[in-house]
Amino acid sequence: MLVYGVLLVCLIPFVFPTWWMATTSLKPVNEIFAFPPSLWPRSATLDAYRQVFELQPFGRQYVNSLYIALLVTVGTLVVSSLAGYAFARIRFRGSGLVFMVVLAGLLVPSEVTIIPLYRMFDGLGLVDTHWPLILIPILGAPSVLATFIMRQFFITLPKELEEAGRVDGLGRLGLFWQVALPLARPAIGAVSIFTFLHSWNLYLEPIVFLSSKDKFTIPQALTQYVDAYGGALWNVQLAAATLSALPVLIVFVLAQRQFVEGLAQTGLKG
Amino acid sequence: MTLLVRERVEVAGPPPDRPPFWTMRRRDELAGWLFVAPQLAGIIAFVLVPLGLVVWYSLHEWSVLADTFDYVGLGNYSALADDPRLGPALRATGLFSLGLVVLNLSLALFLAVLLNQKLRGTVVFRTLFFSPVVVTLVAWTIVWGFLLQDNGGINGFLELLGIDGPNWLRGDATAMISVIVVQLFKNVGLNMVLFLAALQGVPAELYEAARIDGASAWARFRRITVPLISPTILLTSILTVVGSLQVFAQIAVLTQGGPGTSTTVLIYYLYQQAFQFHHFGYGATISLLLFVIVLALTALQWRMRRKLSFYED
Amino acid sequence: MKLRTLTAAGLAAALLALAGCGGDSDDPGSQGPVDLRMTIWSANAKHTALFDQIAAAYKKDHPEVGKITFESIPMENYTTTLTTQIGGGNVPDLAWILESSAPDFVTSGALAPIDKDPDLLPSTTTNWEQDGQLFAYPFSTSPMGVFVNTDLVTAAGRQTPAQQVAAGTWTWEQAAATGAAVQQKSGKGGIVVGDFDFKGWDTLTAVWGGWGARPWSEDGKTCEFDKPEMVDAMTFIHKMAFTDKAMPGPGVTSDFYAGDAAMVLTQISRAALLEKAKFKWDLVPLPTGPKGEYAVVGQAGIGVLKRGEHVDAAKDFLKFFSNQENSAKLAQFFPPPRKSQLTTATLAKANPLLKPAQLQSVVINGIESGVIKSSHTGYAEVQQTVRAALDPLWQPNADVQKVLTEVCAKINPLLSK
Repeated sequence: MLVYGVLLVCLIPFVFPTWWMATTSLKPVNEIFAFPPSLWPRSATLDAYRQVFELQPFGRQYVNSLYIALLVTVGTLVVSSLAGYAFARIRFRGSGLVFMVVLAGLLVPSEVTIIPLYRMFDGLGLVDTHWPLILIPILGAPSVLATFIMRQFFITLPKELEEAGRVDGLGRLGLFWQVALPLARPAIGAVSIFTFLHSWNLYLEPIVFLSSKDKFTIPQALTQYVDAYGGALWNVQLAAATLSALPVLIVFVLAQRQFVEGLAQTGLKG
Repeated sequence: MTLLVRERVEVAGPPPDRPPFWTMRRRDELAGWLFVAPQLAGIIAFVLVPLGLVVWYSLHEWSVLADTFDYVGLGNYSALADDPRLGPALRATGLFSLGLVVLNLSLALFLAVLLNQKLRGTVVFRTLFFSPVVVTLVAWTIVWGFLLQDNGGINGFLELLGIDGPNWLRGDATAMISVIVVQLFKNVGLNMVLFLAALQGVPAELYEAARIDGASAWARFRRITVPLISPTILLTSILTVVGSLQVFAQIAVLTQGGPGTSTTVLIYYLYQQAFQFHHFGYGATISLLLFVIVLALTALQWRMRRKLSFYED
Repeated sequence: MKLRTLTAAGLAAALLALAGCGGDSDDPGSQGPVDLRMTIWSANAKHTALFDQIAAAYKKDHPEVGKITFESIPMENYTTTLTTQIGGGNVPDLAWILESSAPDFVTSGALAPIDKDPDLLPSTTTNWEQDGQLFAYPFSTSPMGVFVNTDLVTAAGRQTPAQQVAAGTWTWEQAAATGAAVQQKSGKGGIVVGDFDFKGWDTLTAVWGGWGARPWSEDGKTCEFDKPEMVDAMTFIHKMAFTDKAMPGPGVTSDFYAGDAAMVLTQISRAALLEKAKFKWDLVPLPTGPKGEYAVVGQAGIGVLKRGEHVDAAKDFLKFFSNQENSAKLAQFFPPPRKSQLTTATLAKANPLLKPAQLQSVVINGIESGVIKSSHTGYAEVQQTVRAALDPLWQPNADVQKVLTEVCAKINPLLSK
């Protein structure tokens, strides 16, 4: 009983902000800072939600975030599963060195490299497009964690499976595609989640690379709900925030088993 | 393609005194290189080359508007050493990272231990504790910023309890606490899940045996649990430490480094110098400092694994 | 073996193509139509509609010009974003410039010199000139005034500022007393200094002008925060916020336009926000301080960037954009710097919500005689440093003199650069 009590108290800072965000977005402006604060809107209104779409091309921005995250997830899965498999199962000269080089990616924060990357993409004429937001996560630092996770997973695969595959006449690609990958579902799940969330949450990169409103992504758009003179439109911001968080939350709740268990089995234990 | 080559070898057949060129070993080598090629190329292009460029920039004074790019050698580095704002930035970074890592790891472990009991509904709790991880970062930060206002939700509820809440984001210490707390609750669910998985790998018989021997709960925790999940503790601590040095959005949205410079951690200081004051050369120098710190901390923790991790011997 | 080599080569080529394809790099210069880009900070649909109108008229007479785009960058980090674009090589052809960063842009040589129309008021162009040449057109000179929620003021039993102006008793002491009275009576905020929020200290120019204070010397080399005038002004502000409660304290949000504050000190262009106001409001000039009457203006200029792709075409477009005719149209939203257009008649057409008396006293007098808000080279760094150094001041028991001395200690090295 005590345990339940403690857990419930602990739950408050985790759950309350999300609750507050959703309910306050339905309150009229003058109720937002009202005192005492109300747990449930006294007079619910969808006005803020209407403004979310009026003030910015939010629908478009939502789609932007979504398709970019999906592309990045698929791309990262391809790159990281290939590389992770190679590091785990293939013995080739220099693999240790290459692995060290790749790991270096984990240690370099994106803020450190953003300026040269901006100049690079500007030289290619790709500023204010979505290409930097797609290519950099797939090939650069963010995918290294994915490679690492895939490697850890592939290491745990029993060698006998591969030997059996060899006997069947499979080459390396076949072994990868037909034997190893199908077994890697938990790792693929974990990598997909990490990668999707990382792309969904990108903040500095869109701010630096994008300048047209209809190309913005959600985190960027969320901070733009200000009146003509820069004052925050609280209710509209909260409404947009709710719209951005709720679908992912719902998917998560429905698939939470896969989420959590995929993570647990990534072999990050050691 | 593999099949094609193999067929050629089988059909044509190498002359008996010459081994085939494409041995299994060689094909494997090629496959290995091809498989890692995209990732390697990406790291070289998007991490190493920019890193090199950053070093290059740090040796220059780059004035954007005047369009000048003058070589100053180690000028930026000596300026950094003499910079009175660097000390406070490092202090703020240390406070933030230390506070976050200690709170994060202890809370994650605490929650994991609680949830590891055979109770009904732990799955629901697990989901709820994990939920902030999937909420959009900026959304989470905005809501907290809103709740932390002097006349916002948190103080509102405190007042109902008769407590006069402080102006969270406007006091030096309270601002730092606020920023730590916002990041803490966002991500601790992740570490909790990892610890939970590790805990479930500890054989129950060990606890049984210890209980029979009369060991207290605390002793069981210290002598059995901690050593057996030490690899997980180590790995999550490395990731959390490195992650804490990169926390940016929360500070940018909530405090803008203030009040004063109390929440200006190194990465925010870097942003100010490079993107607000447009000292790109100096900013590059600071970013290299940040990189070196990350490198050093990671190396340190990795070396400590011999001492701390139960399985390394 | 050949097959393997081909595969490797193919992969490499694919990677390169992936990295390189996607955007058509723009054709530099002479071939094809000339496209112009102007960065602005306004997100207002009415503003952009007017700009597009002007652009369309220009294109009719200039067939070689293709698209003219007005790129809106959020006000909050406008200068940062603009400078990052320039630093990254993505230079716009024209850009709006805040008065605070005027010195940086003008002295750095980033802007191309433009013609100076004799119709321009000298007081509006000083900030944008160097060595006798003009580097940006000051398209908006916006005086600061005080919007008053007269409902709240009369409910608190105080005389309205308009009445006090007529009686010659509209001083800061009176204004503070009114603010405190409203706060006490209705619980709503008293005097709000627009965009201040205890962070944007340069908005306080609207207040310290009454004490004859300045942040730094005329030549910008010496800090004057620790001078008696500024100490007196800051002491007064501190008293208003923490003792008299005439001003909402740090972290408290009082939205004047929603009816939650007695007064707001801001630029007159904000009158547009009062279109749907559910309370009676008025606009009066800034109160007089111990040193008498004063006026404050904010400015915005449009400059042509020297490193843009089509400098001459940009200059020509700017000339058109800022000519007599278009200036009158722009006066709808942006008070013009032209002598011929500073009349209540022209301005009244543009500001239907304001009465002629208000326009004369606040706008015209303001533009002709007002002090321009603070500016300095390296403004971003100076502003941030002052902001961080002033933070200790916004506590109930602050030592004003000590904090201000500390401010000077921190910024003198920056100012003398």
